[in-house]
Amino acid sequence: MQQKTKFTRFTERSGYAGSAWLLMVVLLIIAGVRAPYLFTGSGIGGFIVNTTPLILVAMAMTVTALVGSNVDLSAGALMIFVNVSLVKFLFDQSIGAPWIVVLLAIGIGVAVQVIQVVIMTVVRIEPIIVTLAAFLALSGLNLVILSRPQGRAPNWLGAWGAGRDIFGPMTLLVIVVIVAWFLFTRTGLFTRIKLVGANERTAFVSGVPVFRTRLVAHVISGVLIGLAGLAYTGFIASGNPTQSATYTLAAVTALVLGGTSLAGGAGGMLGTVPGAIAVSLISFTLSTFPLGLLASFVTQFAYGLILVLALTLGVLVRGIVVRKKRSAVA
Amino acid sequence: MDLGASAATTPPPATGPGAAGPPAIEVRGMHKSFGETRALRGVDFTAFSGEIHAIVGENGSGKSTMAKIISGIFGPDSGTARIFGEEIGNPIEASRAGVATVFQEVLVAETATVAENVFMGMRSEKGTRRSRSWKRERAGELMSDLVGHEIDPDEIVEDLPLAVRQWVTIARAIAREPRVVVFDESTAALDLDGAARLYAEMQRLRDGGACVLVVTHRIAELTSFADRATVLRDGKTVGVVEGAEITLDRLLEMMSGVAPSEDAVRAPAARAVERSAPVLTASAVQVQPAFAPSDLELYPGEIIGFAGLDGQGQSEFIQALTGVAPFASGSVQVHGDTEEPRSIHTLEDAIGARALYISGDRRREGIFTNLSIFENFAMPIYKDEQDFGIIRRRSIMNKFREQSERLSLRAGASTNLITSLSGGNQQKVIIGRVLAQNPRVVALNDPARGVDIRTKRELYQQLDTLAASGAGVVYLSTEIDELVGLCHRVAVFRDGALFTWLEGEQITSDRILGAMFGHLETDFQIEEIMESTHAAEN
Repeated sequence: MQQKTKFTRFTERSGYAGSAWLLMVVLLIIAGVRAPYLFTGSGIGGFIVNTTPLILVAMAMTVTALVGSNVDLSAGALMIFVNVSLVKFLFDQSIGAPWIVVLLAIGIGVAVQVIQVVIMTVVRIEPIIVTLAAFLALSGLNLVILSRPQGRAPNWLGAWGAGRDIFGPMTLLVIVVIVAWFLFTRTGLFTRIKLVGANERTAFVSGVPVFRTRLVAHVISGVLIGLAGLAYTGFIASGNPTQSATYTLAAVTALVLGGTSLAGGAGGMLGTVPGAIAVSLISFTLSTFPLGLLASFVTQFAYGLILVLALTLGVLVRGIVVRKKRSAVA
Repeated sequence: MDLGASAATTPPPATGPGAAGPPAIEVRGMHKSFGETRALRGVDFTAFSGEIHAIVGENGSGKSTMAKIISGIFGPDSGTARIFGEEIGNPIEASRAGVATVFQEVLVAETATVAENVFMGMRSEKGTRRSRSWKRERAGELMSDLVGHEIDPDEIVEDLPLAVRQWVTIARAIAREPRVVVFDESTAALDLDGAARLYAEMQRLRDGGACVLVVTHRIAELTSFADRATVLRDGKTVGVVEGAEITLDRLLEMMSGVAPSEDAVRAPAARAVERSAPVLTASAVQVQPAFAPSDLELYPGEIIGFAGLDGQGQSEFIQALTGVAPFASGSVQVHGDTEEPRSIHTLEDAIGARALYISGDRRREGIFTNLSIFENFAMPIYKDEQDFGIIRRRSIMNKFREQSERLSLRAGASTNLITSLSGGNQQKVIIGRVLAQNPRVVALNDPARGVDIRTKRELYQQLDTLAASGAGVVYLSTEIDELVGLCHRVAVFRDGALFTWLEGEQITSDRILGAMFGHLETDFQIEEIMESTHAAEN
């Protein structure tokens, strides 16, 4: 058996992300043709502002999926919970100091995720049930806190949503988070997260501290959702309690498109990020058609269709690769 | 034994009860129950550094439970297990105390790489932190040494064959430089050559001063290299034997509580087979395009054995015979008494022709772990036992009773989970459901893996009865000894194809082993072959 080159190694290990990248590029071309202004400074800036909350929520879902907590259905509702809490408890009380806002956003995200992981591991309830329950509870709570879209973000945060240039605060936020994540993937902690997700029992008997590892993964997810809530608040410069389901479903679509295994242990941001961008591009492209009131239905229909097509394509491509590999071995 | 004074000048004697310091493993009055099942009911034993200590017993005697307590997976109900004087509460503490365990199940993180699996959960002391590239290199070296050929440390474990995955778990234990190594049925997924390499590794660990605890029911192999053996029966220690006292008969007697009697083993191979009309023919079958074609004719009443080193195509071939795996070219046909012969391409063809497959990899291919004993039995039978879509439950129940009596299944209520049974009894349920389908051909792929000797003998009897009633049996085994006395003919595989046939008197362990390494003559010594292959590897 010969040693493989770095390139084949990379393509093998990152193959899961292939469909998402391909889809993203195809959609970029279509979107560019339909609406050339997308590729202007303000076009890109606006797109980034629009997409950042989704990218961050999908990234948060990726971390918990990797550690084996299945698909986090609560993520979208939790992001909105951060948004409405900021509006109700800070902005409506005329509190707007950046450090308090950031601290509360991240604090809420982390606290809710920690409660969930404790219920999963200590009480031993299936992750998907815990996150479904959290989704339902938070969606309701969001409407209790804020009965309709209202409130105003402080000026500094509202300015995040301007998106006039490519390099705004939102762009910086996304870049910092992604760079931090890729540094994190080089740590032993990240390897442990993957190992626990791949086979929790094996990890346990091999002496990996399973509870601590899952806790860390959920804390990271909480931080990301807190930042997503912050970005969302900046994007709409106000509070909106109605978008819990929309964001959860869009983020699940991004996660699955990105090739991360819902069974845990495989996948990563290399697929999730283009996956989220692709999902955002779908609704962007559709918005260039005069669909009127049908827009949101058509968008959901398109999500579903593209998800199935992209995954089918991925399976076919993988089948061909495996067959090639087999015949190469023989 | 002289203590203290000599210890200052020479290393302390590593073996024997007189060794300095607390013993490596000390178990006293161990009790452990799982619900109704009392797995351990008073186990005592002591194992020392620098010895290979075997824990033997039949399935269900509690030896695997013992291994798991020493590894910190389970806590005892009462009694103590001390490692170098310290009690162990969880796997992390066990790992800190220097315990590394290779478990019976092949525990790997499938989607992670070889290197990540080898170094999983290993914590390094301050200042000895290893870089990722160091770990990759070390994992590659370790695996290549163990497996005998180069293994890429970046390979995803999922893509590797079962035996290599087992080596990954062994490498994981060895990479920790353990003071106590527990091998719980670790040879299960390895072929003979692999097992020999593992025994050599165990001896190396012992000579390095580690305490090697071997939990096994493969007692025949054990007798040659264990320093001491503790025998368990029904969750209790029944005795300890040492050195030359470790003989097969003595261990068997202690394990079962009765003296072994010769007539217990009737040789199915002694039954004559009339070779007129075959029940199954395979002509020019290539399991992969690159391999040579193989032919086979199986006659009613015949038991054919398949042997070979790991991955020589025998497993693919037996799967091709029963439609479980596709093959590249050639044809497989099952012949009925009256009807036209049926070609086998898919599993559906095979089931229609009643050529049935039994896997030794029970967990993956045999049982439904979350279903009951009865549901596991009934699974393939439902479809033929229906009136207008309504299942004939009573009829299936009768079949279950009939088979469980016939196979002397030792089980509680049939509504209990299949996982409440020992490995041997799980295999009986699987075999029972195959027998209930009146098979014409049964292909067994290493069915006795993880099964104790009594259950094995029962299995041979069942196969003999089945064959005598006119079915053909193909029996693949990774334990050569199994085939002797059982099989009328043995097909030895090499390089992906059938290498040679052995028949009647020719079927001896030595001949089979020789053929596995490509020798057709009889005048050689097993040790020579082993040595020459090891020399070739090093």
